[in-house]
Amino acid sequence: MSNSVRRSPLERVEYVLIVSTLLLLVVFTLQPLLNLLALSFTDPSKVAGFSGLSIIPDGFSLDVWTLLLQHPNVQRGLFNSIWMTTTSVLIGVMGTALMAWGLSRPGLPGRRLIFLMVLVTIVFEPGIIPDYFLMKRMGLLNSPWSVILYKAVSAWYLIILVRFFEEIPKELLEAAELDGANPFQTFFMVVLPLAKPALATIALFYFVLHWNEFFRSMIYLNDQTKWPLQVVLRQFVIEGDKIAIVGANNANNNIGLAQINIRALKAGMIFITILPILAIYPLILKYFTKGTMSGALKG
Amino acid sequence: MAEPSAGPLAVSKNGNVPKAETSSKGQESASRLLASSGSFGAQVRQWWPYYAMMAPGLIFFIIWHYVPIWEAKMAFEQVRIIPPNIWVGLKNFQVLFSSPIFYQVLANTLIISGMKILFVFPVPIIVALLLNEIRSGKLRGTLQSAIYLPHFLSWVVISGVFIALLSPTDGAVNQIQTALGFQPVSYMTNTGTIRWVLVISEIWRSAGWDSLLYLAAIFAIDPQLYEAAEMDGANRWQKIWHVTIPGIVPTIATLFILNMGMFLSADLNQVINMQNDVNASTIDILDTYVYRLGLSTGEYALATAAGLFKAVIGMILVVTSHLVSKKLTGKGVW
Repeated sequence: MSNSVRRSPLERVEYVLIVSTLLLLVVFTLQPLLNLLALSFTDPSKVAGFSGLSIIPDGFSLDVWTLLLQHPNVQRGLFNSIWMTTTSVLIGVMGTALMAWGLSRPGLPGRRLIFLMVLVTIVFEPGIIPDYFLMKRMGLLNSPWSVILYKAVSAWYLIILVRFFEEIPKELLEAAELDGANPFQTFFMVVLPLAKPALATIALFYFVLHWNEFFRSMIYLNDQTKWPLQVVLRQFVIEGDKIAIVGANNANNNIGLAQINIRALKAGMIFITILPILAIYPLILKYFTKGTMSGALKG
Repeated sequence: MAEPSAGPLAVSKNGNVPKAETSSKGQESASRLLASSGSFGAQVRQWWPYYAMMAPGLIFFIIWHYVPIWEAKMAFEQVRIIPPNIWVGLKNFQVLFSSPIFYQVLANTLIISGMKILFVFPVPIIVALLLNEIRSGKLRGTLQSAIYLPHFLSWVVISGVFIALLSPTDGAVNQIQTALGFQPVSYMTNTGTIRWVLVISEIWRSAGWDSLLYLAAIFAIDPQLYEAAEMDGANRWQKIWHVTIPGIVPTIATLFILNMGMFLSADLNQVINMQNDVNASTIDILDTYVYRLGLSTGEYALATAAGLFKAVIGMILVVTSHLVSKKLTGKGVW
């Protein structure tokens, strides 16, 4: 791109067109989200007339947010989502790292067989009914552990970590062995500190995966008090169960949450659910992008 | 370690471990020595700590991936309230294949997957080609961080966003439509439009993020090729056509194959959140059928049979397309 000085008018027009097309894609991507965000902060008296095109709150009010964040279903959902996701991430990262470490050792007996076993799980999934019966047999139905432990170690992330561990310089590991470290010590004191960026990436992968999980929670957890936020959101926004959030008493007497426009409540619920994702989005961009790009470039 | 592919593929390509292994053939024979008792003790002493560390992961894989395969034998049984179940061979499959709903659901799945391959698959390629033309790294970075976001949202959230966006009364789309003098359309509850909602929402979610995979492939193209093209007087489009696109064909092929392998999936998480009483019949796919049949109606054996049908055909699709791709482009899914 050294010839940036002498660009023909045609080239400049082309460039403007290219940038405009991409800007259009940005608008298409962000407008629906910003509209809902603005709606959730709009003055309750003005919500009814709030345009689907606007991205600026009409008036300003925190009513939707404060009422939702005080709501027992939302609080419980948040609590469940947070502890279930955290536990899943911890189990996932530790389980994956430990298994990947073994699998990255070239001479490990049975290594090929284990890899084959992992690959098979990627191409063949017997379906949700056998999974359901397995949960039932293990007595995990209606327990949050069914969701937390379900496929706690991902075949894909395992393979990423194996590749990473394989590239740790042999000299470092040999030096540790010479110092008398056993394989456990080598792993915890040499390998893990070296793998921090890779572990952060895997942790983020698992975080996004588990935070967004709703299907297993929906089919395994009968008890609504055990639901993570995604299922609470689904009941309210997708299934349209207004009473679940507004409350039967409020709805009948048109008091409390029933006085808040349902569109604004739904918008607020959506944003409460994606808040953690937005909070770590800078990290996601840093690690996901780098992880994907470097993986792709190194090939 | 060879091929520049990407993303889920960067991942899947990493899965190419058996192949990446060719250098350590010697170790293979070492594992065969397990049979000879002389080295067995030494082997155990050397490797048990690694197996101990792998144990939790191995147990997870066996429980969550292999026990369900065994549970799937239910597809060949008559499920009884009081065990044991009775072995009935292929009877459940006969019932399944003679049911008109099954063919309706299969047709829906194929139509939706076909539409996604046709209309969703090319979009990230175009986005990547456009992004690559952006000269300022800062501008490109900003655009990228905006369009990647939806990839990290759940389908519950995305569906909620689309329900609002497409609302016949307050949604942005219908507001534009009525301003232009058209009648509003209830896209979510219209059997003629709901499949397009699946296509558009899939583009919304993945066009940005998936472009990263192609962008990575574009960045890996040898800059000398562009310099040579410039020397020959190639303009922007000629460079795209003769250098960039040929450079990413392997990535396109591999991703296309990965998509073909998932042809029978059509995304349960998406459909289950976009489905409602009105549109259900048009977007009922194999996965939602299995879900409803098994977990709502309690037809466990039939549902398992349908799921197994999908799993087996899906596996054949992935493995075949992998082998085809391997032969054509030298690159496969794993």
